[in-house]
Amino acid sequence: MDNIKSIRKVESNDTEPKKRIQKGVSYAKWGYIFIIPFFLVYLAFTLYPQIKTFIFSFQKYFESGLNVFGPKWNNFGNYVALFTKSENGVVMIVKAFTNTMIMWLMGAVFQFLISLVLAVFFTSSRLRLKATGFFKAVFYMPNLIMASAFAFLFYALFNTVGPINQLAQMMGWADKPIDFISTYPWSTRTLVATMNFILWFGNTTILLMAGIMGIDESLFESARMDGASSNRVFFDITLPLLKPILVYVLITSLIGGLQMYDVPYLLTKGGGEPNFSTMTIVMLLNKYLSANNYGMAGAVAVVLFVITGGLSFLVFRMIRRKDD
Amino acid sequence: MKKLFLGLFAALAALTLVGCRKTPAKSDSKVFHIMAWNEEFKGFFEKYVCDERAKFVEAAEKKDDSLKPKEYHYDGKLVKWTIVPSEGGQYQKSLDQHLKANETASDDEKVDMFLAEADYILKYSNSKYTTPIKDLGVYNLSNTYEYTSQVASDSKGVVKGVSFQCCPAGVIYRRSIAKAVFGTDDPAKVQEKISNWDKFNAVAADMKAKGYYMTSSFAETYRAFSNNVTQPWVNDDLKLQFDPQIEAWMAQAENFIKNEYTLTAGIWEDGCTNEMFATGKTFCWFGPAWYYNFCMGNAQDETKGCFGDWAVCEGPAYYYWGGTWLMGAAGGNDDYLVGKCMNSFINDKDVCKALVKNEGQFSNNQKANKEVAAEYEKEGTGNAFLGGQNDTKFYLDLAKRIQIKGMTIYDQYCNEGLQKAFGEFLKGAVATKADAIANFKTQLHIDCPEIVFE
Repeated sequence: MDNIKSIRKVESNDTEPKKRIQKGVSYAKWGYIFIIPFFLVYLAFTLYPQIKTFIFSFQKYFESGLNVFGPKWNNFGNYVALFTKSENGVVMIVKAFTNTMIMWLMGAVFQFLISLVLAVFFTSSRLRLKATGFFKAVFYMPNLIMASAFAFLFYALFNTVGPINQLAQMMGWADKPIDFISTYPWSTRTLVATMNFILWFGNTTILLMAGIMGIDESLFESARMDGASSNRVFFDITLPLLKPILVYVLITSLIGGLQMYDVPYLLTKGGGEPNFSTMTIVMLLNKYLSANNYGMAGAVAVVLFVITGGLSFLVFRMIRRKDD
Repeated sequence: MKKLFLGLFAALAALTLVGCRKTPAKSDSKVFHIMAWNEEFKGFFEKYVCDERAKFVEAAEKKDDSLKPKEYHYDGKLVKWTIVPSEGGQYQKSLDQHLKANETASDDEKVDMFLAEADYILKYSNSKYTTPIKDLGVYNLSNTYEYTSQVASDSKGVVKGVSFQCCPAGVIYRRSIAKAVFGTDDPAKVQEKISNWDKFNAVAADMKAKGYYMTSSFAETYRAFSNNVTQPWVNDDLKLQFDPQIEAWMAQAENFIKNEYTLTAGIWEDGCTNEMFATGKTFCWFGPAWYYNFCMGNAQDETKGCFGDWAVCEGPAYYYWGGTWLMGAAGGNDDYLVGKCMNSFINDKDVCKALVKNEGQFSNNQKANKEVAAEYEKEGTGNAFLGGQNDTKFYLDLAKRIQIKGMTIYDQYCNEGLQKAFGEFLKGAVATKADAIANFKTQLHIDCPEIVFE
């Protein structure tokens, strides 16, 4: 408050002596002092580890038992190893990237379709839905539950002796328990995608609603007066004007999706089963970390950093262009 | 003159004795520091060896924890525990840090003794961070079971740890199913039917014919094979190798799944343990004495279980499962106390007998086990869970015959990794056996990059 007051004072009174102006400006130093703790924490716990990770990615550095191998310069050795075929004939990082993208897409398609429909319904001045606040809260609720709790719930429901299997056997749909979680790649992927969908569609709905509400209401009204159908309004007014927000939400969701970890990790107990078909990039990173292989884990982290960095840059550019 | 000679001779003799049996010196430190991952051993230590043990026994008898002293001592030194749960490798991580810093740590922080499990004991016994038990003052291993020393020996055969328990394992089977299929539930007669793997496999077919499963997990028999390998998982050139015993397990597991003699559940999964309820259709499980209380909760369930409908026999192979070893940390202050504690748990017959009688353990002292078994025999008492069978007597002989060969520090990764990867093949998630083994190697390469494959 004091700060604002003094600035106002400075602005309102040009004839004040110079001293006064300097005093007003000197308040700015408090701003810097207040952000020092953040930067200290950032330097120690974010930037320093990031630089270290980058260095490790060029070193042979791992522990086996109580013995430490390295750190020894390995140039691009870790990256070459990362993009070399494993014993099972698969390049694990490519497999992990593909898995991550497939599971993200499976969830995201429904997430965006349904969120879009809900957002349009909730903001429509024509429908005037009642109790939208209640529904918004309910849709958003899953996002408040920890992903881990959610994964455990799905594990409990879908394992071979869980209620879903009991029901299926009781109703005569299956004569033997079906292993939804660790036998069929598409079944496990569907479970992961479903969980991510339930966790995130409420969040997307709220963001898209904010976007639609930002569109000038008079456009909708005049379109309706001209006799435009709801479909026409949606495709010719809502969608084009919502595009910037939609792309932003899509790309942030993609970045979040690339870092997919907790849900598939807990559902498959870290294994990425079946046949590594649900192993995401961060799960692969974690496999190297739990093996105390700092060099390879560093290389995976840098690859992930490059991909997300590129996508973030896209988002940045988009927002800037909108401002211009 | 004669006296002088005698005196000299005695002095010389004493010197030589001291020379070959150096007793660790006492230190001035005031703390005896032990690291463990749970409270099991702590309970035994408090009740049977610490200075204030009488008070702990009293507290246990009266079931009143408030009687337990808050602080207690061992040979006058304050006992300090650092307990880190083993989940996610936490215990080993913390232990590694402590051991590496032990030489330079302050007196109160130095670790004197720590506990280790068979799965990873070699990591410590093969390192410079543990002290040979001879240097701790433990010379007499004649009462213990041989395999407990084999497990705790380093690559040169130097014994680095002592186990306070012995975990011979057998086949724990349902009496009612044995009666239905064999016409008898007598352990000796059932043993005849499954005394080797060929017979065991043949019985599995009989079980199937009568509507039962032989086991309820494809991995149930794994340890009975893997404990009997003749070559290590990884050889001196760090090359991975498959022992014929492991091949035999894979063949059996494949056969059992194909013929529906067993289920695709892992040994810790509900799909396996739910079969222990009275309604279960599974004949047997593989496990040691601790398995009854630790893993067979469903069988002991008051309403749905089948308490007393069980018995144990040797089965097709001798093996052990589990166990906890005490190890002396290099750089610790109180080597003589570590040795004293180890000696109590293997050579003090009273302590060992108490472990068997009061704590449901099978001790690492042959005489103590024998005496307790004889007492039970005389009283005609046995284990109620096993329908009155005297299992202490049963384990006596079994424990002596267990032999361990070819352990490596990679065993945990190899054993668990292979079971997991092969399980995927058996479930149909992976198309061929070769694919499963390739996946196993892929995971192993991530965990232990130094291992090479053919």
